[in-house]
Amino acid sequence: MKESTAPRLTRRRFLKTTALLGGSAFLLSRLGWPSELFARTRLAEYELTKPENILYTVCQQCNTQCGLKVKLYDGLAAKLEGNPYSPWNLQPNISYRASPLDVATLDGRLCPKGQAGIQTVYDPYRVVKVLKRAGKRGENKWVTISFDQAVDEIVNGGDLFGEGHVPGLKEIWALRDPKLAKEMADDVKAIWAKKTPEEKKAAVEAFKTKYAEHLDKLIDPDHPDLGPKNNQLVFMWGRLKGGRSELIKRFTVESFGSVNAHGHTTVCQGSLYFASKAMSEQYQKGSWTGGKKFYWQADQNNSEFIIFVGASPFEGNYGPTNRAPGLTRGLVSGRLKFAVVDPRFSKTASKAWKWVPIKPGTEAALALAMTRWIIENKRYNAKYLSNANKAAAVADKEPTWTNACWLVKIVDGRPEKFLRAKELGLTDEDRFVVLQDGKPVAFDPYDTANPVKGDLFVDTTIQGIRVKSGLQILWESASSKTLEEWSAICDVPVRDIIELAREFTSHGKKAAVDIHRGVSQHTNGFYNVFAWFALNLLIGNYDWKGGMSQASTFDHTGGKEGQPFNFAKLNPGKTTAFGISIIRHEIKYEQTTLFERYPAKRPWYPLSSDIYQEIIPSAGDGYPYPIKALFIYMGSPVYALPAGHTNIEILADPKKIPLIVASDITIGETSMYADYIFPDLSYLERWEFAGSHPSITQKVQPIRQPVIAPLTETVKVFGQEMPLSLEAMLLGIAEKLGLPGFGQGGFGEGQDFTHPDQFYLRMVANVAAGDRPGNEVPDADDAELELFLRARRHLPKTVFDPERFSQIVGEKWWRKVVYVLNRGGRFDNWEQGYDGDYIKNRYGTLINLYQEKTALTINSMTGKPLAGYPIYLPLADSVGRPIEDEKQGFDLHLITHREIVATKSRTISNYWLLAVMPENAIVMHPRDAQRLGLSEGDRAKIISASNSEGVWDLANGTKVPMIGTVHLTEGIRPGVISFALGYGHWAYGATDLVIDGETIKGDERRRATGLGGGAGVHANAAMRVDPYLKNTCLVDVYGGSAVFYDTRVKVVKV
Amino acid sequence: MEAENALVRMHQDLQRALKKPAERRSWAMAVDVRKCIGCYGCTVACIAENVLPPGVMYRTVLDIELGKYPNVVRILKPMNCQQCDNAPCVPAANAVAPGSLEKRPDGVVAVNYERATKEAFEAARAACPYKRAVYFDDGRFYTDGTPARQAYEMRPSFEYGKEWTRTAGKPPVNALRKCHFCVHRVENGELPACVTTCVGEATYFGDLSDPQSLIAQLLRENRDKVMRVYESKGTQPRVYYLTDTPVLCKSQHP
Repeated sequence: MKESTAPRLTRRRFLKTTALLGGSAFLLSRLGWPSELFARTRLAEYELTKPENILYTVCQQCNTQCGLKVKLYDGLAAKLEGNPYSPWNLQPNISYRASPLDVATLDGRLCPKGQAGIQTVYDPYRVVKVLKRAGKRGENKWVTISFDQAVDEIVNGGDLFGEGHVPGLKEIWALRDPKLAKEMADDVKAIWAKKTPEEKKAAVEAFKTKYAEHLDKLIDPDHPDLGPKNNQLVFMWGRLKGGRSELIKRFTVESFGSVNAHGHTTVCQGSLYFASKAMSEQYQKGSWTGGKKFYWQADQNNSEFIIFVGASPFEGNYGPTNRAPGLTRGLVSGRLKFAVVDPRFSKTASKAWKWVPIKPGTEAALALAMTRWIIENKRYNAKYLSNANKAAAVADKEPTWTNACWLVKIVDGRPEKFLRAKELGLTDEDRFVVLQDGKPVAFDPYDTANPVKGDLFVDTTIQGIRVKSGLQILWESASSKTLEEWSAICDVPVRDIIELAREFTSHGKKAAVDIHRGVSQHTNGFYNVFAWFALNLLIGNYDWKGGMSQASTFDHTGGKEGQPFNFAKLNPGKTTAFGISIIRHEIKYEQTTLFERYPAKRPWYPLSSDIYQEIIPSAGDGYPYPIKALFIYMGSPVYALPAGHTNIEILADPKKIPLIVASDITIGETSMYADYIFPDLSYLERWEFAGSHPSITQKVQPIRQPVIAPLTETVKVFGQEMPLSLEAMLLGIAEKLGLPGFGQGGFGEGQDFTHPDQFYLRMVANVAAGDRPGNEVPDADDAELELFLRARRHLPKTVFDPERFSQIVGEKWWRKVVYVLNRGGRFDNWEQGYDGDYIKNRYGTLINLYQEKTALTINSMTGKPLAGYPIYLPLADSVGRPIEDEKQGFDLHLITHREIVATKSRTISNYWLLAVMPENAIVMHPRDAQRLGLSEGDRAKIISASNSEGVWDLANGTKVPMIGTVHLTEGIRPGVISFALGYGHWAYGATDLVIDGETIKGDERRRATGLGGGAGVHANAAMRVDPYLKNTCLVDVYGGSAVFYDTRVKVVKV
Repeated sequence: MEAENALVRMHQDLQRALKKPAERRSWAMAVDVRKCIGCYGCTVACIAENVLPPGVMYRTVLDIELGKYPNVVRILKPMNCQQCDNAPCVPAANAVAPGSLEKRPDGVVAVNYERATKEAFEAARAACPYKRAVYFDDGRFYTDGTPARQAYEMRPSFEYGKEWTRTAGKPPVNALRKCHFCVHRVENGELPACVTTCVGEATYFGDLSDPQSLIAQLLRENRDKVMRVYESKGTQPRVYYLTDTPVLCKSQHP
């Protein structure tokens, strides 16, 4: 281990000064160092192909999370390539057994954002010291303070800004006794279980009597189901992957005891996740549970036909690097053709067999039209759909089965619960029923011994009970309109509908519907997703090669047999967080003590979670309760959310949220409203377990690890030196608070949690162990171990200490950990993704064509029950009223798109990408432009019914007009306009700010065109504010999505 | 051929070519326009690899829209120096700046940064029928005007097997710059940056004189689809394009 203490490179010192320090230190960064930096002897050789100058990690320029091969030049990340071990970057990927010493000259593929990543890392506007606001919220005046001072102020509170008392975390951490928390949590559940308001009221009174001594620990003793004051700490995040995810939840939920740890899923493709969750719910012990927050994608490497709906894998949607080669190879070999349903002629559409420029928001209409034709023409897979249980599926060699033939009870014309066998007196056990040749048969969906098949189309009455089969219900929904009527709704010609449906049903299992944001980010997103995924069920392509695939990962949390560190058991101080979350998720309104009437004050989301657009606006309304402290990690809701400007007003007001702490690498559009900014490490300086995507069929776990020295300041926590980072912030606060689960004995007797490595290295060891005994990776040999150390010779002890690393994982796992890290994670070989005609890593169970759980859920805004089957819903606001802004002259339908050279809020620092595309545009059809008197290159402003001024009001005296440059194209549906996300900034280095009294000039290349910069327009603030909720965007009240594509606007020449 | 990993195959081809004497290698590039997804990965990879300044892009992608809604066509076509065997830029540049450009035996048109002055650049640009092939390094840095010029722009590039650190007044600043098929990578056993990064698997590279090489096989098996840009001008470019619509593809070159 001695050789690990390689001489520290002095160069690191200089690299550290290249980021934004503030004050005098910042000035230093401009002086002196450049000439010294490379004053060295010339190299004799090309250094970048030497194995000791290469480290493998994971990209995070977008959420595709491709593998990275980082080529280092004296500790500088000099050039990025794709990791050839990763199936994202090379198809097939190279053998996992190949030695990194042998493959140094072999590079994998990488997209332009990946290539430009070092500009995110070495961004001159990065913050490296803790900042505290020195003016009003959002004024962008800051002072640098010590880490210790920041932690002290956040924990202890006080009059921190001369604006009155700010509660510290020690005050919010009210309920500290895990035993008491557990008891209260159980009693709250009991209150929710009471059926009548009177019973609930009595239970609340009993609760208050029982816990009379502890009522001060509750948010509201009259509503104990709001939970303890601890819930007034809210932790929200944008991009978060494994490792850091467990750390944030450990801090917020397990140790601090707040239920409010929320992600950003609904701003991406929430309703895609939550419709898939509803489709994957399983019937266990009498209830539907265990639905997975996930979705499926096409196995594009083997498909013969794919319909991409609202998806462009060549530009976004978890592409292009991992998906493009399978698609382009298929096009050229003749194996594949695909259709693209999208109002915009995307780059994907440019390679399509058929481009279908649908009217936005009518996606389900097209899906149901195809469903109608497929059923009418008997082109569905009847054999697959008639399997009622596992045994029948197995007998048919089908990995999955559906409830298409199960009988559903019809009450007052409405499909409700499944018929239970008990109701017919068939059995005393809890069984479902199918009809077999007209006779009812009871069955268990998971029975492996007795195959049961059912009649597909049933509409009958059995023993006085009106029933229909799941498929019959789908058919009735699809046939509620003629093809011509559906065609009129979605504006897709009938001949195209038929052609799509015929082609889709002409390739057996090797056809797929692959959908993304364009389907889910509508007010009807949940049902759009359901309707399209139901089409996949009609051909039964799930788990089939060339059909629909799900992601599969090596577990890093140690839940599998043979894994050394089970994190579920590594928190002895774990408490029970309980109560209604600030976003009211996974709980029914009617069960709570807040239930009064419809509509509820804000929507409740029993089927969803991570409802990003509800976090800050709910805090603004104090519904269901006010919050006291908000932590924001790697997220910019202001910039990323539709109508994100609504968040500004709330963030800027300390009375609404007394304390805001941001963890960020720069001062962004949202962190500019924080009270404190803790500099974070960039993606090349830290750990994370990146997981996978559905289109990757191999089992994988890409691991992000520090490959360059940290650029942030070094701080001391629990007596250990570490770089300023999310981890240092959480550990520092935990130390000051005395939070259980951290510090001495944090993992249990004799197992300290005083350094981030103790968390992450254990996880690496779990990945090395694999899913079962015997699934371990080999030991690194001596040569690989030596390479491991030499390639990290530039890393300081704060992030790389082989002695510390090996002690954490122990001798048994050390060389296996080295083996995994030498390859940037763990990746199955290509062929391990398949098993004959099947996808190897299977979903392998029931998929709900009819959703009983959904059918038993009430819409909290209308009081009406939800449909348990695919339907077409017209666009509507949160209380179900149509949005008719077009009647007020808002004549254009606004959508957004992704250019491959930009990721939403965080690539504007990448000048190489700006060199390719310096600004985005207001993209429109010449016909619309002519009507409006607009020409190519004109400047125009976007306004809408909820933003008639067409500006972002930054609540600091500045308004950013949504002005952009008009670009005309034949490649967009007339009547629709679009703009690419990622441009038109006013923070993130785009405008001036003051640190320690010194003005730091912003860069006009990043700045919105409306502010006189050259970076185009970010028009999210034109997106419709929900007329009922008034402080957030339009929403899908079923699946939770934030709505991007249902706003009508005007474009006005300026 | 679909199951094959083109990058691994070309990497093997390359190791074989490097065993031959340098003068017997014949580097060529092929771009399958049908597979280009217009991602600009090549453009940015090249900037990063060769530490290119603002205004210099050895490799770009043409994005041309044709037709009327809803019958629209989009041609995505990468473009870089065509490394012509009969390169008009070489005599033109050498006439004003002797020794500035050199046609190497392996096919690459190489720049001598010490001699390739602004005059050489202007002469080459005027002579070259291919727009977006030759550039001039005017000494700018992307991060100038920000709080600090960044180290990633100041690390050396390794073009032509030498080490070049961009500094005012020293080459390659104030010199002609253009694509060189990443010969510094190639001679170290690594494929050109635009090839390895090509997300659509559209770009191929190899030794044309090796009939076993993937690029030779590809051009042999797709004769009806192969075109070169401005073939009629007799420049004999070393960059080949594969397309289903050669006429359309040709007609759209600027």
